[in-house]
Amino acid sequence: MKINITPIISALTRQRGVSGSLLVDETDGVIIDATLQVGMKGPAFAALAASLYRKARLSAQAAGLGDVTFLRLRATEGYVCAAGKNEMVLVTIADARANIGLIRMEMLKALERLVL
Amino acid sequence: MADDIRRLSEELARDPASPVYLQLGEALRRGGQLDLALKVALRGLERHPHDADSHDLLARIAVDRDELERAFDEWDMVRRIAPDHLGARKGMGYVLFKQGRFAEAETYLAEASELDGEDETVATALAMVRVKLRGDRGSRGDRGDRGEPSPPPVSSLDTLDDLDTLDHLSLFADLTADGEQTALLLDATGLVMAGTYLTQDGRDVAQEVGAELSGVSDEARRAMRHLGLGNWSSLTVETDAAVVAMAPMRDDALLLLAASKAMPLGLVHRVLDRCVARASAWLGKGAA
Repeated sequence: MKINITPIISALTRQRGVSGSLLVDETDGVIIDATLQVGMKGPAFAALAASLYRKARLSAQAAGLGDVTFLRLRATEGYVCAAGKNEMVLVTIADARANIGLIRMEMLKALERLVL
Repeated sequence: MADDIRRLSEELARDPASPVYLQLGEALRRGGQLDLALKVALRGLERHPHDADSHDLLARIAVDRDELERAFDEWDMVRRIAPDHLGARKGMGYVLFKQGRFAEAETYLAEASELDGEDETVATALAMVRVKLRGDRGSRGDRGDRGEPSPPPVSSLDTLDDLDTLDHLSLFADLTADGEQTALLLDATGLVMAGTYLTQDGRDVAQEVGAELSGVSDEARRAMRHLGLGNWSSLTVETDAAVVAMAPMRDDALLLLAASKAMPLGLVHRVLDRCVARASAWLGKGAA
């Protein structure tokens, strides 16, 4: 089944506080599709977020905790959220006022649609 | 793992009376194949009904299947067959701890400690049980048998002097109540400074888990440095089996909290914040 990725990614970016969403290849950190605010360093976000997700996934497996379903990194200026499946990672960057509960739910739903 | 299971299965097929069923059952249990592990253990038990290790295996499988009563009964059987069996005492203590019967758990764990005073998992479990007991007595306002004031309730262990009453193993025991969460304080190299991480069969795997997960914080630090989002304050990883939350501490130390998936995420972060405050105070005292 052919899936149009862009509308799914764009819908995430319309959430309050979200400044960018990216679908990234987990292995090499390359962007598959992205919707970003002007001036955002997409490739850097993609590479670092994919690397963080991959590290978390491998570490969790090694620690006997199973697969990672969602990751949230909180910093003083905002959040990086990631959810992955089938070697793809959906990444969202949000500022500190974002509703992370809502973003998490939308990301998990979006991921289901993306990996159909 | 799969190769081991295949090899052990073949060995058992060649000689059904062989005690290799114990290794096979354990390998299946560790691999999460609990129904198969149970089948192997039960068949082994039919041939070796008075073998303590068979009952011990069955008890560990029962714990993994969340059948605590059955596990307790099996370990009780082990204790009857082999009165000095350490695993049975540890297991019974663990089941009672999970059931919130801390005083009884302490009895069995103290017996285990007498059998092997060098066993760190027993010392860890005993320390945790005693903190829980102190909390129970403190919250009821109990006084000692001789009319002495009881130790402070664990919920009030927030002043620096009170921290002296906790050892490094039980630093977070009162904060990670009900045994569904566990917290570790790791140094910059991933070594455990405080806390415990007990598996369902009572093994302390803190060093292993700490070593594996501490690398994630390095990755988080690196990402934040490049992305200009400021310093990272927490990292939450949801997995199939648990929720793991981490927070940076002074001197590149790391606080790691693992909680059941059933625990609401907001509550996980609240417990994480409390553990961070406790660890900061403890580190500030130079306790490490």
